[in-house]
Amino acid sequence: MVNLTIDGKQITTAKTSTIYEAAKENGIYIPVLCYAKKLLPYGACRICLVEVEQMKGRLIPSCTTPVTEGMVVTTTSDEINKVRKTVLEFLLVNHVVDCPVCDKGGECDLQDLTYEYEVVTNRFQGEKFDLPTDEVNPLIERNMNRCVLCGKCVRVCDEVVGYGSYSFINRGFETKIATAFDRGLNCEFCGQCVSMCPVGAILPRPFKFKARPWQLKDVDTVCGYCGNGCTVTLGVKDNQVQTIRFNEDTGVNHGNLCVRGRFGYSYVNDATRLTKPLIRKGGELREASWDEALVTIAEKFKAAGKDLGIISGARLTNEELLLLKRISSALGTHHLDHSGGECYQGLTAGLNETMGISASTGTFPQVEKCNAILAIRSDFYETHPVFGMVINQAIRLNDAQLSVIADKRGKLSKLPNARTLMHKPGCEINMINALCQVIIAEGLAKTDDLQGLAELTKALADYTPETVAKMVGADAEAIKKTARELAGAKNAAIVVAYGLPYTAHSKEIAIAASNLALLTGIAGREGSGLYLCGEKANSQGAIDLQITPGPAGLGAQQMLNSAAEGRLPVLYLVGEDPVVTYPDQGLVKKALEKSFLVVQDLFLTDSAKYADVVLPAASFTEKDGTFTNAERRIQRLRAGIKSPGEAKSDFVVFQSLLNKLQKTAPAAPAAAFGELTGEVAGYAGIVYEQIGPQGEVWGGETLAPLKKVLIPVAGNEPLQAEYQLLVGSALYHSGSVSTRSKGPMSVCPEPYIELGRDDAVTLNVKTGDMIQLKAAGVTIQSKAKVDNRLPKGVIFAPYHFAGLGLNRIYTGQSVIAVEPSKL
Amino acid sequence: MFKEFAKGLSITLKHLLPGHSTTVEYPKQRLEIAPRFRGLHRLVPAQDREKCVACYLCPTVCPAKCITVESEENEKGEKYPRVYEIDLLRCIFCGYCVEACPVEAIEMTSAYELANFKRGDFMYDKARLLKS
Repeated sequence: MVNLTIDGKQITTAKTSTIYEAAKENGIYIPVLCYAKKLLPYGACRICLVEVEQMKGRLIPSCTTPVTEGMVVTTTSDEINKVRKTVLEFLLVNHVVDCPVCDKGGECDLQDLTYEYEVVTNRFQGEKFDLPTDEVNPLIERNMNRCVLCGKCVRVCDEVVGYGSYSFINRGFETKIATAFDRGLNCEFCGQCVSMCPVGAILPRPFKFKARPWQLKDVDTVCGYCGNGCTVTLGVKDNQVQTIRFNEDTGVNHGNLCVRGRFGYSYVNDATRLTKPLIRKGGELREASWDEALVTIAEKFKAAGKDLGIISGARLTNEELLLLKRISSALGTHHLDHSGGECYQGLTAGLNETMGISASTGTFPQVEKCNAILAIRSDFYETHPVFGMVINQAIRLNDAQLSVIADKRGKLSKLPNARTLMHKPGCEINMINALCQVIIAEGLAKTDDLQGLAELTKALADYTPETVAKMVGADAEAIKKTARELAGAKNAAIVVAYGLPYTAHSKEIAIAASNLALLTGIAGREGSGLYLCGEKANSQGAIDLQITPGPAGLGAQQMLNSAAEGRLPVLYLVGEDPVVTYPDQGLVKKALEKSFLVVQDLFLTDSAKYADVVLPAASFTEKDGTFTNAERRIQRLRAGIKSPGEAKSDFVVFQSLLNKLQKTAPAAPAAAFGELTGEVAGYAGIVYEQIGPQGEVWGGETLAPLKKVLIPVAGNEPLQAEYQLLVGSALYHSGSVSTRSKGPMSVCPEPYIELGRDDAVTLNVKTGDMIQLKAAGVTIQSKAKVDNRLPKGVIFAPYHFAGLGLNRIYTGQSVIAVEPSKL
Repeated sequence: MFKEFAKGLSITLKHLLPGHSTTVEYPKQRLEIAPRFRGLHRLVPAQDREKCVACYLCPTVCPAKCITVESEENEKGEKYPRVYEIDLLRCIFCGYCVEACPVEAIEMTSAYELANFKRGDFMYDKARLLKS
């Protein structure tokens, strides 16, 4: 700790603080332009100049100067103000003063400072820039005439996102921020630069000229896409979400968002949202009243009783899931499952067998302090981009070693320090087993109170790095290095993401990963953690609430099987579109056709077209409740807008249904949460109203394993086929709902089939050509995209788009043998 | 006492003489209007559009909340008011909108004969305000 005096106030602060941070902590205001909490100190703008007694003779930039013992700092004096005013005058020499038409007006740091320091005239004269504005891309608008060269966009893109789109080019007066070769932006479109820009140089294009900042009502809620649980602040006006506001004080994400979170909100205001219940009459879906629809459903449900199948989405709030569970128990059915039941449940089940818990053991902020990180499956960044940014920060700030077990290269492979352990598709378990083998063989394992070590050692005899490397085409030395790093690191993390597009051997992967976590001592150690990340916003909540088949109940896939055979007369789909997203489309369609189908969703989805009753539901922006994210953080959703037409939140629908079944239901989400804390073990003691801006992590920052059992799992034989198709997620999309959002659709508008360079040459395919994949007698067609991240023989396709019909050939395999041909 | 009485009455009588009346015979006769009189608003036209850039400062400053602006982007990528409406029934003619305008796109004319038959007629939209 260091003692210093700022403006006559005695302050004790950490040795690593800068003067600015010390002042801010103690409520002393120093103006800044180029400083940002999450970025490294830079000192570009010189607005934060202060006077230090010990360094008399010049003014000191407070944001880059570390505190020293006995420092005496003055933050305002006539001289300091004069200098700050001059700095502003210099900035305003080039800055075009088009505040009336600039969307930043009203929350512009430069505008505020100009006002504060009463810069009404300028003693200097110079040329205003007249640079062309970047109108090429649909999401991020750049107007470099307004730029003050603070470098925040350059730094955030490099330090946080790890993409590096921007850089300073030219020298002196000509200096400007530009992309490579000064072309249009072609990046992840996460919009971090938009959120950091202190002036109107980088703005969100979808919000262009929509409203003024002061007209917007800010509503803090939780993003409804992935399991990362980022806080998004909705900017609401006229009952519409106009934009997502920048907010770095609330939530676990420190204001970081991805393209989905920042630009994927438009579906909530979409004109095609369902506004009235629909009932099939005479073969057609016709509008009906809520009462009629609910009576019809209640009758059917009662008649079906224990033969009702309920498949829920994992984007319902915890409170809604609780009511859904009540409905299933009121009807006596055990056929209850959620989308995660296809994949994420497997992960948690695996973890349950080895450690007796069913959630990630650490929290995201801990990962920033890790020394070694292992990501299993390369899709991790694509499904959980903001967690990916945390990993990037661990690398930048903590020099962490990142290893990626991957069948294709992705964003994580491009990060500095990243070691990609490439293997043949579908052989992740072999790789993890090899890591375990190295750790045991080299005596690095932390074997205290581990059960089943002998069996595991025996079973792993076949998984020496050399054997595995030969079998799956990996690099044995790299495996050894990674194993040593993981075992030797003070803090380490293992991250696994799972989603609907890869449902195969999820349980085995979880067991293999937890073997590794137990051998390295990662599980349960303070600061380290095994992270199992579900694909959807409330995947973890659905597991916590056990939206899983009861005793003798059927899982989602079995329900569809059963329904297809006509043994399940009634199906209730809540927020799921299995026709598009579930494996084996043929089976799904048959199941939906055969049963009496009730669909509750935002849109008339492909699945809803088969429905007998469709109920219009509410999006995440229209309801109150809680989500539990992939690190067990329970966070509150807050309604920002009203639902369109007669659409109701799932909570209200379930309430009415329960009433129709002569059962009582909690009156509001807060009451439901109260009941929930009594039923779900980890949630006990958490009070709805007291869930703060950072959420509430159930089970504490580090969740200790209840047992430590090592279970041997067998790896897989690589598929022997010339061309192999991998199904996965694209960065710009999440599930199928993002395909109804303008932002993601404007950068990734249509399905594609991705090929590596070598295969593209062999098949004579260029980006944009139509290509056909044939598997098991079924063909799918799409535009080709040629990239350099896929190894030879591996083809990739994202699963989000209904148009591709990918699940006609994807039936749950980890990898599919296909025959590609150019059309 | 009579003296004072006569004095007072003489002042009154003086005012009754022709040429001393302060009222005018409106509408045949009209008073001259002060140059800074605040009458009906006018949107100032520019070459091919209105001067207004839809910065929302006038609806923000308006104490009577009678101005509605909705901005949009035109073909040239400029910001313009798709909707600009003033509800004269609510307006208190304070002139703050004129003062707030950064581009001098709104001014107040000398027109004060604003009576009308229907409530709807008091809503002045962009086209009307540009002509007034």
